[in-house]
Amino acid sequence: MAAGSRRSRWVWPAFALPGVVWLALLFLLPLYIVLCLAFGTLDPVFRSPVPVWNPLQWDFSQSKYVLTHLVGENGVFGAAIWRTAVFVVVASVGCLAIAYPVAYFVTRFGGRRKGLLLALLIAPFWISYMMRMLAWVNLLQTDGLVNRALSLGGLFPVHVDWLNGRSSTVVFGLVYGYVPYMILPLYAGLDRIDQSLIEAARDLGASRLSTFRKVTLPMSKAAVIASLLLVSLPMVGDYFTNDLLSGSPSTAMFGNLINNAVLDPGQVGQGATFLILMFIVLLPAMAYYVRSTRREEGETV
Amino acid sequence: MTATTAPVRPPLPAPAQPRRSALPFVRWFKNPWRKPRILETVTWVYLTWSLLPVALAVAFSFNSGKSRSVWQGFSLRWYITDPNLSVLHDASLHIALVHTLLLGVVTTAVAVPLGVTFALGLDRWHGRLPGFWNIQMLLSFVVPEIVLGVSLYFLASQFPFNTPMTTGTTGQVIGLVTFQMSYPVIIVRARLLTIGKQFEEAATDLGASRVGALRRVLLPMLFPAIFASAVLVFADVIDDFVIVKYLSSGSDTDSVAVKIYDTARGAPTPALNALASLLLAASIGAILIGYFGYRFLTRGEGKTSLGSFAGQL
Amino acid sequence: MAFLEACSKKDTGSTGSAASAAPTFSVASPEHPVKWPIYNDNKPIASGLTPESNATINIYTYTSYLDPKALKSFEQKYKAYNVKCTITTFQDTTEALGKIRTGGVKADIYNPSYDQVGKMVTAKLLAPLNHSYIPNISNVWPSFTNPFYDQEWQYTTPYVLYGTGIAWRTDLVSEDISKLTNPYDVLWDPKYAKKLSVLDDYRTCMGMVLLRNNLPINSSKPEDLALVHKQLTEMNQVTMPKVNVTDYTDLPTKIVSLCQAWAGDAVNMLSYMPSGQSPNVLRYWGPTGSAAAVDNDLLVMLSETKAPVMTHLFLNHMLDYQVSIANFSYNGYQPPQNNITPSKLVADGFVPPNLASAVVLPSDYDQGQHILELPPADDAAWHTVWATFKAGA
Repeated sequence: MAAGSRRSRWVWPAFALPGVVWLALLFLLPLYIVLCLAFGTLDPVFRSPVPVWNPLQWDFSQSKYVLTHLVGENGVFGAAIWRTAVFVVVASVGCLAIAYPVAYFVTRFGGRRKGLLLALLIAPFWISYMMRMLAWVNLLQTDGLVNRALSLGGLFPVHVDWLNGRSSTVVFGLVYGYVPYMILPLYAGLDRIDQSLIEAARDLGASRLSTFRKVTLPMSKAAVIASLLLVSLPMVGDYFTNDLLSGSPSTAMFGNLINNAVLDPGQVGQGATFLILMFIVLLPAMAYYVRSTRREEGETV
Repeated sequence: MTATTAPVRPPLPAPAQPRRSALPFVRWFKNPWRKPRILETVTWVYLTWSLLPVALAVAFSFNSGKSRSVWQGFSLRWYITDPNLSVLHDASLHIALVHTLLLGVVTTAVAVPLGVTFALGLDRWHGRLPGFWNIQMLLSFVVPEIVLGVSLYFLASQFPFNTPMTTGTTGQVIGLVTFQMSYPVIIVRARLLTIGKQFEEAATDLGASRVGALRRVLLPMLFPAIFASAVLVFADVIDDFVIVKYLSSGSDTDSVAVKIYDTARGAPTPALNALASLLLAASIGAILIGYFGYRFLTRGEGKTSLGSFAGQL
Repeated sequence: MAFLEACSKKDTGSTGSAASAAPTFSVASPEHPVKWPIYNDNKPIASGLTPESNATINIYTYTSYLDPKALKSFEQKYKAYNVKCTITTFQDTTEALGKIRTGGVKADIYNPSYDQVGKMVTAKLLAPLNHSYIPNISNVWPSFTNPFYDQEWQYTTPYVLYGTGIAWRTDLVSEDISKLTNPYDVLWDPKYAKKLSVLDDYRTCMGMVLLRNNLPINSSKPEDLALVHKQLTEMNQVTMPKVNVTDYTDLPTKIVSLCQAWAGDAVNMLSYMPSGQSPNVLRYWGPTGSAAAVDNDLLVMLSETKAPVMTHLFLNHMLDYQVSIANFSYNGYQPPQNNITPSKLVADGFVPPNLASAVVLPSDYDQGQHILELPPADDAAWHTVWATFKAGA
């Protein structure tokens, strides 16, 4: 082993090198560019963004504008951020309420049909998210199938405008879109629970509810938290669901703030600031995920 | 000896009888050994709710009229026959389909090897430096896609030096690889944890070189994980919207998802449904190829599970 | 340093350092017409060149705004050169200009209004035109050979004319909006909450609010913009409008009951009415005379084009009478062709009587207010108000 050890010390870092270089250039560097644009200036004539590369020359006026216009009497951007928080919490809870029973059923009672059920649960992964939203845009039109079904084929006049700036439609769309991404991690986590523990509890006289409360729920806690994170974090950055299902500023989300600002050259600095703000707000949740994964991998956290 | 009776114990209380409720439903509900009808119903209702809208969208792609909610007859108009608006004749639509599949294949081909080597390196290299990069990689996995998409767009448009990172297909592939790279890393690392080091050590003890042990012992064992991550990356890329849109340079580099987003807010015809259905057919084709290919390649090595198509190991 | 210069991207005109003289541009208006300079490093191409072979002409425009048949007929006409035409779409012109500047989109032709011409010329994003390739200019109104925003039409060709007003359906709206004292008020009427939309263009929508208050459509006075901000916030709270450019399909499919609309969109709605519904329910109101808000869009050639001769020929093609008429049937917008008499459009059956008010007359164009280009600081102030509106404050 001694002969190869000095040479082989560099084998594994060499394996990791392409990934490291890639992350450095395409993850860390772009984030630094975001900083340079958020703390950069604007060209006076064309109102186009000018990134400032030297941290000593950073100009905080654009970021100050965003931060002073979040809440309070000048608060214009805070509403969208708060709205996003509400939407994401409601939609995540909705996803959990649907995903948990389904995953639980497939794990415990799937039986012979487990393969088929899993295949059907996995199917949405292979169906484009946009196509699934398009399907609902078609159905929720004013003369679409949902209104026609609700009016029971013309018995009652039902002309609800589902696609006109309704928060409920946007939350519904978020739940519909993201629930498949929650079912599989939950299934994987619930699958790991030893069935014999549940049966033991039963044999000792616990009722269904007690068994669930005292055995299944605590053991699934980690899976629940992980799948909640995996669903709510992408939801925070979602802007296209709102664009497709509502199109009204009254349901604008954090992602819309970023998207609208970034596409307007004079507001790129503000958009970059929003981006940094989003990163900071989500950092606790992201750090939690990173820590728990590293703990699983056995590394010192 | 006087015949002594055993000390009389007070009689045990009668076992508690559960109160028998009069309502048959409540009795049924409380039976611990009954079949889980409620959960089962919930599951089937969920599956219907999840898949029926898509089935309807596919059905309406065969509509002979322009409506996407009123059935006007069966026709292949939106696929082939309409001279201006069908997928076959409207270049913007079929270019998007081809471009989506191209992005899927190229990104998978780059991201999976990159991710697997990264996983191997991170797993075996010890210290604080790899720990730092592991954290970066996990962050890139868990951060919302808009953060990555916008920052890469800034890299493509504001970076003062000429790089291959521009808007267009190259930029899109690079951006997608960045976003997807963490998938193979996470899956392979999880698998490596389960496998442990004993097989490689046995191989080196028996005289194999480090690289040889890797190639002939570890990689075959990792094959299911590598395959699963390739499948996942492909599925995710053909579905991707945010990065593809930000790094698109025009209608010839739009993907199906971008097309749907742009057109659905305007005046969509069933041709859009047809395009989405074609992509769905292509995905199903890819699954079938993958599934049967996988079974062929691992014949005789134990059973495969459908769960691997969603990253479950 | 040479290495850095060699690596640097071609300067698209953004001033990287504050030291270099920031070029300003003149602001054009009917009272102060502007003749743009031709720069030495951005001269028109020579006359008499052969068109490029195997070119792809990419036109950057709104969705459903340019007739696909016009593209096909162009490809057919120049089949010998194997030319292909594609369309890339944008949602609004601010985003489009941003993408063009940063190289985010590769296009040959762009479809702006004249409120961006000054910026684009000064940033050398537009290529000057060689008139010998565009003889069809004689088909359009003579005023367009010397418009106020581009004297001697050095950089632009006219596309279509339009007014801006309000469109509605009589089966969903019981009152006659054109008879109200201030028709614009209907966009703030709680009766129509969540049933209306406004246009996703900051100049058009904010200009409408200014017109509602009898202020000039280009005003950048702080008190005027503050009033616009206040009323837009009120609109968000009271009627929660959708903000998009798809009014031409939303009204026919009853997604909204009324909407702020461009006149051409109102006419275009006819082709989007579902079968079985009568197009007679559509109505349009647009202010007339000096209160009219009339503008025209342009087709311009981008300096990044790789096929300048072919692009010139395409611009010429779009000014052809037959192509213009077909384009009009496709998108409902009037081209300023000499052979189309606006006062006869209804009589000739191009526009139905219930939408007669959507026709733009030359007198409207001459007397009405135009959305002019703004100086940079004013433009920034406008964008700030617009951003807060779109954030749903």
